Amino acid sequence: MRFRAPGEEEAQERTWAVVRRAYEEREPVAWPRRHVRPLAAAALVAVVAAAALSPPGRSVVHSLRKAVGVEQAEPALFSLPTHGNLLVTSRKGLWLVHRDGSKRLLGRYRDATFSPHGLFVAATRANQLVALDTKGNVRWTLARPAPSRPVWSGTRTDTRITYLSRGQLRMVAGDGTGDHAIGRRRAAVPDTAAIRRRGGQSEVLDRGRVVFRGTGSFEQAVRSPDGRWLLVTWPTADQWVFVRPGTPRRIVGASRISVQFGGFPRVQGWCCAG
Amino acid sequence: MAGSGRDERAWVRRAQAGSASDFEALFRAHWGPAYRAAYLVVRDAAAAEDIAQEGFLAAIRALDRFDRRRPFGPWLHRIVVNRAIDWARARALRPEAEQVDAPAPERAERDEELLAELGRLSPEHRAVIVLRYLLEYTPGEIAELLELPRGTVNSRLRRGLDTLKERL
Repeated sequence: MRFRAPGEEEAQERTWAVVRRAYEEREPVAWPRRHVRPLAAAALVAVVAAAALSPPGRSVVHSLRKAVGVEQAEPALFSLPTHGNLLVTSRKGLWLVHRDGSKRLLGRYRDATFSPHGLFVAATRANQLVALDTKGNVRWTLARPAPSRPVWSGTRTDTRITYLSRGQLRMVAGDGTGDHAIGRRRAAVPDTAAIRRRGGQSEVLDRGRVVFRGTGSFEQAVRSPDGRWLLVTWPTADQWVFVRPGTPRRIVGASRISVQFGGFPRVQGWCCAG
Repeated sequence: MAGSGRDERAWVRRAQAGSASDFEALFRAHWGPAYRAAYLVVRDAAAAEDIAQEGFLAAIRALDRFDRRRPFGPWLHRIVVNRAIDWARARALRPEAEQVDAPAPERAERDEELLAELGRLSPEHRAVIVLRYLLEYTPGEIAELLELPRGTVNSRLRRGLDTLKERL
């Protein structure tokens, strides 16, 4: 059968540009996997020991304990203090954390966003935007070069995802149809509180008021769906600290976050009030 | 044109080791059949491009685990044709304006008629006919690719061809 599909050559060149980039960015498995686990364990022991014994490590632990109102920092993340699920990414991939602290690895994705009602997740990998349900089942995929920073907005019946692809802002309907460019602006970012560095300390400001302070660097301060709590991520101390700025103020910490997620995670979303 | 089995194994081996030129050889050899197969199943050039592209991106993700003793083409075509069937099924459930691409001007009238009728078959029947007569897989290979019983492949081929014959 001699047959050529329409636009074959042009499609080939467009695809080659995307596929070549993906090939160049891939990480070949060059080291036998059997060596990785013992080495990682040894490195982890060394890092934990150094962190605990070094003056900055002791300072961080002391700082957390000294913070006004800190209840005991839990040795692991056992639960979230309020409604909703968290979406986080680490070196291992994308995780969904339920309110009871149970978590599920959804797959190897980079950036992610909840759908407006938290029923689905849009996530990115090297050259794809992917829609998943909360069990990690893929609903649809869209091949685009280097997608990042997806934001899913809309109502229960009409949703859209905006995302960046090579500096271009694009939009696709929640069912994966109608993908098109809408300009070169930056995608919107979820509501977060301000973080300020002062000397060797960091502060979280909520409505202009310092609500939490600690040694080292805070990475994010993400607001809970009901607006009452802030999740402060604190890589220096390998902790997540949940802060309720109201009266009475409450602070609840969870330790050893890196161990639980395979690297210190980045929070991608906290959804939804229920 | 796809290379010989030996060429292909060498391309895969060197692509696994990081040779971009060998990966390009693999891509160029398999792009055409993959894109055409997707197009004949979905009858939409943009969707076919996305589907074939996803097939190659999946190939890159699995490249380090790929067993070099096995041929690359069937593995790629399995991904592409299965995704094309999924896409065509989803499209059938989502009525919208017909977006069939205009045929290439040099295509013979008879071919146009054949392709139009092919497009009216169900995605499942289209897929086995594309795999059999465009990509020239045997019914046994199609059964393995689509994870179907061989009898199902044969009956879909028979029924698809009978329908085409009646309509043409």
